[in-house]
Amino acid sequence: MAPILRLEHVAKSFGALKVIDDLSLAVEAGEALGILGPNGAGKTTLFNLVTGDLRVDAGAIEFDGRDVTALPAHARCRLGIGRTYQIPHPFGAMSVFENVLAGAAFGAGRREAECYDRCIELLVLTDLTRKANQPAGSLTLLERKRLELARALATAPKLLLLDEIAGGLTDSECQALIETVQAVHASGVSIVWIEHIVHALIAVVGRLFVINFGQKLAEGDPRAVMNSPQVQEVYMGIEAE
Amino acid sequence: MTAAAQIPAYRIERSTRASRLALVGFVVAVVALLSLPLWDGEDDLGSIVEICYMLALAQCWNLLAGYAGLVSVGQQAFVGIGGYALFAFTILLGVPPIPAVVLAGIAAAVLAFPTALIVFRLRGAYFAIGTWVVAEVFRGVMGQIRALGTGTGMSLPVAISRAVAESRAGREIVLYYTGLAIGIGTVLMVFFWLRSRQGLALTAIRDSETAAGSVGVNNERTKLAVYLIAALATGMIGALIYLEKLRISPDAAFDVIDWTADVIFIVVIGGIGSIEGPFLGALVFFGLRYLLADYGAWYMILLGATAVVIMLRAPRGLWGLLADRFDIQLFPVHRRVRLR
Ligand SMILES: Nc1ncnc2c1ncn2[C@@H]1O[C@H](COP(=O)(O)OP(=O)(O)O)[C@@H](O)[C@H]1O
Ligand SMILES: [Mg+2]
Repeated sequence: MAPILRLEHVAKSFGALKVIDDLSLAVEAGEALGILGPNGAGKTTLFNLVTGDLRVDAGAIEFDGRDVTALPAHARCRLGIGRTYQIPHPFGAMSVFENVLAGAAFGAGRREAECYDRCIELLVLTDLTRKANQPAGSLTLLERKRLELARALATAPKLLLLDEIAGGLTDSECQALIETVQAVHASGVSIVWIEHIVHALIAVVGRLFVINFGQKLAEGDPRAVMNSPQVQEVYMGIEAE
Repeated sequence: MTAAAQIPAYRIERSTRASRLALVGFVVAVVALLSLPLWDGEDDLGSIVEICYMLALAQCWNLLAGYAGLVSVGQQAFVGIGGYALFAFTILLGVPPIPAVVLAGIAAAVLAFPTALIVFRLRGAYFAIGTWVVAEVFRGVMGQIRALGTGTGMSLPVAISRAVAESRAGREIVLYYTGLAIGIGTVLMVFFWLRSRQGLALTAIRDSETAAGSVGVNNERTKLAVYLIAALATGMIGALIYLEKLRISPDAAFDVIDWTADVIFIVVIGGIGSIEGPFLGALVFFGLRYLLADYGAWYMILLGATAVVIMLRAPRGLWGLLADRFDIQLFPVHRRVRLR
């Protein structure tokens, strides 16, 4: 299958700090890819480059066979890139329902009334139905993260980028989240998931990509990657003891 | 679709009890205002026109700063352009005055387009300063045009004010209805915009520009639309103001205090980022002015103090306080889910 996402020698610096350093990466259509890496490795920055929140300094980004390197964020979303923010960015004074509606109306490019069913469905899926009319700014952190997921799904993505959505969950909440992401994946959406909760990641993804200092450290089958000496040493050093 | 969740029966509601009551109030107020010349004579018409255009300017500025994040301190550019365009269209091109008011708005919107190309490259405080600089440039240019009286300005020829209506009383009534139309028209325009799908985009931008882009909202185009529509309305208001004043000069027409600072007071006091806010702000603004009419400078000092206190104690203005406490909306722009 052709890759849905391809990064070619992408680089990004903030001042003197090289955050993404000549990184290349491909995600096959229908694949679920997990991204691991220590804090500050550049994972969120990588997402911001893919979505167009940030512009690359060098390199190219291709999505679904198109060069999107120069496209603004809204255009990439409309082409089918959906994302959640690690630090949630709710539309704080709009209701939870309206947050999801905005995703469906603009990301999926539909008339407002045509989106209502899908929005309600997503509120049920993310267990936010009872909060539908509350201002999104009044939600707890965990609820905000679920809203991020609902809003991203509302844009009807072909590729869904998840940035640390499993942190802070209880075991049963985490299990429910795994099943939700599995269901999204099963419906044909390609997924890239940044997550520190390794068992959740491995339950969903077929391949791991490990980043350190903005560069690829390891890539491949989840178990093989987790057991590889570089990852044991640099990333999981302590746990490997 | 993903995870075939069972959808509960639901209904989407737009209006609330408060908004239905407010609609009745709004209709009563409009009927009262429309019939005012019949039962109140002409004495108050001028003040009501002024309230109408200040409210309309405030609604426009609120759309800019409160929703689109475009904190312009240069809206006087479009008041001035509107005023001068009225003079140019009527005197130089012989357009009848009331159509000239509409054309003046269009002229302002047309000039707003190249202005936007410049100021939209700037962000935050630089955007604010940029809009002001552009307004000063327009003021300077208008002061050079000989046919429009250069720096000293000019008066509208009697023949043109006669073209509005023969008698002074007749003119007052025509200007009153024009002002009412612009005031009510601006409020309705803002309301239907915010209530629409595009209003959802604008409200999303208000709350988070980053997230709005990530869900497919074209921030730049939405902002440009706000800027151009605000210029259109502001230009028409400027034309109306100078059709009433009969005399224009660059210094008065491009005055930052009269046409932008007071408007900012109204929006900030009343509550930025809501339709209701500018109404409440206009009430406070004109209330204070009426109460303190005899105290000269005290009026400005108290107005400034009120604005500062409100900015510190209630960043979302008086309407923000009320809306938080009582969970009300008078203009039903939101959507509520009712599960059955
Ligand atoms: N907008 C920014 N400006 C400056 N530095 C940034 C910015 N965003 C991220 N960084 C820095 O880039 C590095 C990588 O950040 P990030 O991509 O968020 O890492 P991760 O998500 O892997 O934890 C960090 O050192 C962070 O401080
Ligand atoms: Mg991160």
